[in-house]
Formats: sequence, C-alpha cells, structure tokens
Amino acid sequence: MRGIPTVLITVSPEASRQMRPPRALYPKGFKIGHSLGRPFQRELQKRVLRDALALLLEPPRPGEIIERTYPEYEMNPS
Amino acid sequence: MPLISRKCVPFTPFEGDLSRATVALVTSAGVHRKDQEPFNIADDLGDLTFRIIEPDVSASELMVTHHHYDHSDADRDINVVFPIDPLRELVQEGVVGGLAREHIGFMGYSMRLKQMYEETAPRIAEEIDRRSRADVVVLTGG
Repeated sequence: MRGIPTVLITVSPEASRQMRPPRALYPKGFKIGHSLGRPFQRELQKRVLRDALALLLEPPRPGEIIERTYPEYEMNPS
Repeated sequence: MPLISRKCVPFTPFEGDLSRATVALVTSAGVHRKDQEPFNIADDLGDLTFRIIEPDVSASELMVTHHHYDHSDADRDINVVFPIDPLRELVQEGVVGGLAREHIGFMGYSMRLKQMYEETAPRIAEEIDRRSRADVVVLTGG
C-alpha cells in the first residue's frame, strides 16, 4: 500500500502529542466538539481547514503539534 | 522519557500541487449519514465499525452518534467536526483540487483501543487507499 499524507486537527493536543502524528494543528482554546470553530462560523472553519492543509506544504515537523490562535473563536460565542 | 517518543513517526511526504489534490475527511467524531446504522453507543466497549460518506453528501444528511463529547453544536452544524462545506468552498476557490471519492466517519471512543488500532485503522487506511483514492487525508476528532 502506498503511504497517505495526513494532517490532524486536534483539540486535545496533549493526547495527540503522545501519538506523535506526522502533522497536527491545534486551534488554541477550541474546545472538544469545536475542532473547526463554532456553528456557522464558516470563514473561521475555512481558515482552520486551510491552515491544516498548509502544513502539508511546510517543512516536515513530525510529532509536533502546531498551535495557532484564532481570535474569531472567542468573538462570537453562541 | 516515555518510550513512545523514541519511535519513528510514520510520515508520508506530500508531493505535488495541493490545488490539484483530492482530499478525504476522516473523523472519529461519530459522524454518519442519517440513513446509515448509528454507532453502537449502548456497548461500553465501543464500536469498531466505520461508515463511508460520499463526497456529494449534504450537511443536513449527516448526524453524530457519540456519547463521549458534547456534540450539540455539531448537531446544529456538522462542519464544526466534519468540515464538508468549508472543504467544498476551498475546492471552488482552487485551494485544493477536489473531494476524494469517499470520506469516513467512525466513533473514536473505545475500550478496545488495541483492536481499533490493529483492525479498524488499517481497514480505514485500505478504504482510503483503494476506494477513496485521496491524495491527502484531514483527520478530525470531536
């Protein structure tokens, strides 16, 4: 079987770190159930997804959880 | 130092152009189509099965069956754990090439982690490799 490039979006960075994923994005402060953001925050969801996909193009940092901050997450809690 | 940190990280480089790549979503958040059998949350041991989700599914056809996280927001907007609509928009914008032939949902809470690791995970990988034919997989939890 060929290898498959993957990227993980995690809201449990400590648990994910134990498994040493090849690529992982942690949107800082997002709670479980909100991996991409809050309901109907479409632009934020796209940004998080796009940032995760962008890790495929960056120099490899296997095992590292890349943390990013998205202020919009807190701007409109619903 | 924990032993696991000494292990090699399985890593497949991404080569090529993301704007031509097909993307599959694989989630442990318990996502499935409403007309598919729900995951068995009555079994304390968990559910080792997975569901295949077609790329042209609409968000309203999807639901969550999972008893180990608060999915009330996913119930309102599945995209918070399974970003099918954002992914479609990224295709329209040319950021990625397209959707893969299949996405996959499973229910990640399990007391049978060894079986999930040794059986479910390779089957999902095989499904992605043989039938989804995704160039790239985006993994989400809850």
